[in-house]
Amino acid sequence: MRKITISLLTIFLLTLFVNISFSQEEPLPPSEVKASDTPNDNGHSITVTWKLSPDDGAGKKNVVAYEILRSDNPEGEFEIRGVAPAGESRFDDKGAKEKTDKNYLPGHKNFYYKVRAKADKTFAESEVSNPAFAYGQWYHTGKTTVLIGVILFSAFALYFINLARKGKKLFVRPLAGIEAVDEAIGRATEMGKPILYIIGLGSADMIATIASFTILSRVAKKTAEYQTPILIPCYDSVVMAVAQETVRAAYLEAGRPDSYKEENIFFVTSMQFAYVAGVNGIMLRERPATNFYLGKFYAESLILAETGSVAGSIQISGTDEIAQIPFFIAATDYTLIGEELYAASAYLGKEPVLLGTLKAQDWGKALVIISLILGALAASFNFQFFLNLFRVQL
Amino acid sequence: MVETIGIWIAAILTLGIFSFLYKDNPFYKFCESLFVGVSAGYWFATTFWQVMMPKLVDNLAAGRWIYIIGGIFGILMLLRLFPKIGWISRWSLALVVGTTAGLYFTRYLVSNGMVQTENTIMPIFVTGNLPQTIGNLVIVVGTFCGLVYFFFSKEHKGTFGGFAKVGIWFIMVSFGASFGYTVMSRMSLLLGRLDYLFGTWLGLIK
Amino acid sequence: MSFLEKLLAIDRRIIFLFIAIAAALPLFFTVKLHIEVTPIVNNVYNALEALPPGSKVLLSMDYDPGSMPELQPMAESFLRYCFLRDLKVIIIGLWPNGPIQANIALEEVFKDEEVKNRNPQYGIDYVNLGYTVGNEVVVERMGSDIPATFPKDYTGNKTEDLPLMKGVKNYNNIDFVYNLSAGYPGTYEWVIFAVDPYKIKLAAGNTAVQAPLVYPYVQSGQLIGVLGGMKGGAEFEIATGKPAKAVKYMFSQSVTHAVICFFILIGNFAYFATRKKKGS
Repeated sequence: MRKITISLLTIFLLTLFVNISFSQEEPLPPSEVKASDTPNDNGHSITVTWKLSPDDGAGKKNVVAYEILRSDNPEGEFEIRGVAPAGESRFDDKGAKEKTDKNYLPGHKNFYYKVRAKADKTFAESEVSNPAFAYGQWYHTGKTTVLIGVILFSAFALYFINLARKGKKLFVRPLAGIEAVDEAIGRATEMGKPILYIIGLGSADMIATIASFTILSRVAKKTAEYQTPILIPCYDSVVMAVAQETVRAAYLEAGRPDSYKEENIFFVTSMQFAYVAGVNGIMLRERPATNFYLGKFYAESLILAETGSVAGSIQISGTDEIAQIPFFIAATDYTLIGEELYAASAYLGKEPVLLGTLKAQDWGKALVIISLILGALAASFNFQFFLNLFRVQL
Repeated sequence: MVETIGIWIAAILTLGIFSFLYKDNPFYKFCESLFVGVSAGYWFATTFWQVMMPKLVDNLAAGRWIYIIGGIFGILMLLRLFPKIGWISRWSLALVVGTTAGLYFTRYLVSNGMVQTENTIMPIFVTGNLPQTIGNLVIVVGTFCGLVYFFFSKEHKGTFGGFAKVGIWFIMVSFGASFGYTVMSRMSLLLGRLDYLFGTWLGLIK
Repeated sequence: MSFLEKLLAIDRRIIFLFIAIAAALPLFFTVKLHIEVTPIVNNVYNALEALPPGSKVLLSMDYDPGSMPELQPMAESFLRYCFLRDLKVIIIGLWPNGPIQANIALEEVFKDEEVKNRNPQYGIDYVNLGYTVGNEVVVERMGSDIPATFPKDYTGNKTEDLPLMKGVKNYNNIDFVYNLSAGYPGTYEWVIFAVDPYKIKLAAGNTAVQAPLVYPYVQSGQLIGVLGGMKGGAEFEIATGKPAKAVKYMFSQSVTHAVICFFILIGNFAYFATRKKKGS
């Protein structure tokens, strides 16, 4: 009886042991480990690929991760460079480019890799990979589409700017907001009230602000001719300087340099709502006949336009800040929606560069429209080749 | 004690600005001027201590002379205080405008042109999935008509004008959504102030 | 003048009064609203949940006190979440006021009992690198060298000496970027100058005004998700299981929205009715 118990116990323990050793069994190693330079980078990175261990997701199903090891000597010691989760068969061994960095990965020096399939407590190592070294590329092949885009757009721009310079008339469709400018200035003159021109909160390098300067130049020239004062409270000191310059030039061009008043173009503050509070005060005290809001506007747009409307001014607005356009549409008389602001500045300025780029943009848009239609068709009928043309590898 | 005074000042100034909702008044004007003055001063101090000192003075003091170039361009900017040589400041402006344009050109084309176009290209018909088909159709038609509206080389007449009209409808719908979001934003700001008045100041809200 | 015409010419101050009452009254009541976490917010939460403890997250504070009611609750809920999950937070600001807002948020978060028990340490669990001038150029430059972009932290310590910053060279060493933005520079600049060129994982909290502008980037996969305005903030608080300020305001927000909708409806009704009358 006792013997039976002991043998049963032994068998039981043995099965247990077998079970344990089974779960502890090494997975099969990954195979075909290949190393090569990571493409399209500045060097200092090597890409390692491998074929999954047969026990990853199949077989014994015990692979939990892969460890990637590197050495500069195939027989030497390997150090762990990173871990990839199970199921993954690629790892970028990214190193630093500075020699002083601990993680420095020199270019043009051979390295060897091994990949370890890790199970719970054990692991299995692959063979050593081929040697590979990192080096930088001058050309990023994944960005060819971007290059084509840049070349196309630049070519359009240069072509049209050239046409405009040669005096060829380039058609820009009329915009309601712009046609109202002269009328608005005339009204201010009749009422003997000033015009308020707000360039917005943008800095001088923003496209909306630059467009606003062009329109300001035209408006200022008119106010100079009609002898109507123009007030320009500014949010940015550089914008103020450029605005002064623009208005001075416009007055000079109109033959009225003596009427130019620099103190009418002034800095308020660079705090958003403090600026609004300041401008609101001006609107209610000066009661300008016409308010222009052209440029970059943020949350202050409605507060300004609303106050202007209470003050009874005619209001012309325009911004490329999409979130603010609804408020301008609701609270002002004329609104230049987004790009219409740029178009208006090209239309008024008659500057070859502006007109040319506006035309180039139109043709850029035409290209997008065509690709959109063709793309939608290609996607519907699953023409992968065409779709890949748009894929940008970043 | 100091905190209590601070809370009282903030609350009274909040009420002062709110009083504008009734009508323009001297109290509002006082608050407004105070706000403008304080913020201009604050802005100056911030620029001095967070930009001028760490970015220019400290770097020069540490012997990183390359920063002198930025400093010189900054000083050139100040030359507009002297009308005769004011034009020199345009060099600094040119530097800022040029660098920004260069920085944006390809980045903008990729992020807003390529990647967005790639994601708007979608199958118009998704077999067996009507909601998806409608969704895709709205995106493709909306993008197409929206682009037509912003095409400036042709007057909006005939079929082209029809597309532009559909485009402006799409744009107006999106503006409506945007309007709603902004109303939400404004209400949040109001709630923030009211919570301050009733909660932090008067202690009526726990 | 008919009733409808009178309605159209209603003194705006009456509307202001209604809105003020609608906003203020509900603040005094605690009403539990059912707030559903929308996928666009849930994406942010899931992406954060997927980060292992000890991951480094960058919090870019790009707003000033003007947007506090909307964005401050988001900053607080994010910081609280990070401390409880043991995510290491690196704070920067593209707006001069951003890092100050962060300090205000930290002070608030440290009042939380659970956070107190964790006792997050400056330099180890979080750092505030302050503001630096340059807008989008700052974002761009951090792609190659973060310590060079922010050589000193907010209080003047050398960035390199902070234990948390050891081994943080550029975006490769950052696991997640969270941007709270009220305008320029903000989410848009982060997408263009960090997501596309450096492939960072970015999620954002925006003022409701900004939110519709960045939604296209979610659709295109350039942005993981967006917390849009106070509602987005409330959803995130619900997702993390820690309802706080944004949730508290939701009832007031809903009541004011209802009042505004009511005014829009009667305004439009009166407008079209009087126009029809005039027309006939």
